[in-house]
Amino acid sequence: MAEPELLLDSNIRLWVVLPIVFITFLVGVIRHYVSILLQSDKKLTLEQVSDSQVLIRSRILRENGKYIPKQSFLMRKFYFNNQEDGFFKNTKRKVVPPSPMTDPSMLTDMMKGNVTNVLPMILIGGWINWTFSGFVTTKVPFPLTLRFKPMLQQGIELLSLDASWVSSASWYFLNVFGLRSMYSLILGQDNGADQSRIMQEQMSGAAMAMPADTNKAFKAEWEALELTDHQWALENIEEELMSRELDLDGMFNSKH
Amino acid sequence: MASVSEMYDVTWEEMRDKLRKWREDNHRNSEQIVDVGEELINEHASKLGDDIWIIYEQVMIAALDCSRDDLAWTCLQELKRQFPGSQRVKRLAGMRLEALEKYEDASKQYDSILQDDPTNTAARKRKISILKAQGKSAEAIRELNEYLEQFVGDQEAWHELSELYINEHDYGKAAFCLEELMMTNPHNHLYCEQYAEVKYTQGGLENLELSRKYFAQALKLNNRNMRALFGLYMSASHIAASPKVNATVKKANVKYATWATNQINRAYQGNVTNRVPGC
Repeated sequence: MAEPELLLDSNIRLWVVLPIVFITFLVGVIRHYVSILLQSDKKLTLEQVSDSQVLIRSRILRENGKYIPKQSFLMRKFYFNNQEDGFFKNTKRKVVPPSPMTDPSMLTDMMKGNVTNVLPMILIGGWINWTFSGFVTTKVPFPLTLRFKPMLQQGIELLSLDASWVSSASWYFLNVFGLRSMYSLILGQDNGADQSRIMQEQMSGAAMAMPADTNKAFKAEWEALELTDHQWALENIEEELMSRELDLDGMFNSKH
Repeated sequence: MASVSEMYDVTWEEMRDKLRKWREDNHRNSEQIVDVGEELINEHASKLGDDIWIIYEQVMIAALDCSRDDLAWTCLQELKRQFPGSQRVKRLAGMRLEALEKYEDASKQYDSILQDDPTNTAARKRKISILKAQGKSAEAIRELNEYLEQFVGDQEAWHELSELYINEHDYGKAAFCLEELMMTNPHNHLYCEQYAEVKYTQGGLENLELSRKYFAQALKLNNRNMRALFGLYMSASHIAASPKVNATVKKANVKYATWATNQINRAYQGNVTNRVPGC
């Protein structure tokens, strides 16, 4: 599209683009610290801790069982998977799906999540839209269709304007997602200002109920363990070891 | 008495970093920690900032090790003031009571922690160490077994249990504990070597074969493990000397033993003045 390029006032750069970046960034940092303050203690029950460790042990058995003698491996496999009294066969945990309505702590968590993340975004987005309205802020580097015009060009009533020119509100949203990597740099991983991650969590979070998972996890481990065979890694260890001389360089030096 | 910084000519930052290194590596050089830490606390407390709290904890435990009750008491008071009602500080208070041999009070202290938080592993482990300190090894073993039933993944506990079993000469169960450790740390040559030694002590042809294999594994993981090399030689020659083996096995083991001897000779060649370090 060989249209004449629009030349924007450099004041826009100074007084719109940069302030929006700063505002977004500072709001993100504030959100991070607020979320730390509002964080509720996650209390784990003894059973949950114990179960998670048992699952880890079974996994280790599957992965590294080849380092222990065959007899020991079979003994442990028997302990877990035995038909009559194997651990995975017998242990049934009480299944209480924590729906948001019945579990009060989940409810407050959700509310806090919403307050710290969604609400400021809407408020600030609206404020920016109101303050910095009536002019074009920047141009996205790729061409867009006309369908995007009402969304990205709020407040600019020009029919002939290329959809690539966007208003300040869309620059704000661009920043919200773009500054995620900056937050990881400055606030460390797993920070409270990372909004898209939180939204992803909220969508998949409803499906992740821990207690129901335990029974299923046990069943999955049982199957996996049944399938595991014992390939002793030490079968030919002597031959492997003695195929070459030991590396004893500088062993009894004074500095050792 | 010259201060540490004068004797070794180090700045307070270097002292603080040294303490951190000892903390991360879990060194038990308590006397050094007490010397360095006491000076840091007395002279440079304001410059340390928030680091000071963890230094208090580290110095307190070292002070208990060195019987410096005065220093331990000051550290504990500071921590109590800063973190009232903290489980971690309560555990430290319990440890102080243990050091003063007031085992009943210490036990009560840990029980109160466990009431608040049943998943607190530190308090449980301290209770078991009280039993060990009192010499009640049978009870300690029982408690540790119960603890491990709940917390299967605690490697420190598995190692402690293996040590207790070895002291009780229950080598079968000690081997079980060491197997757990070998599985979680397949590249640690020391666990392989200790397992091999336990199997060697148990005796019997099968166990000797296993021990030889695991000495070989320890050597493969670390070529310089002299103890494993000697162990390999001894288990191989033991099997070769046993009347129950057939000719092929005997020949193979003689070959292994000769190889081991060659390697040992190679290692000590030209180092006649060096004594073998604690084998």
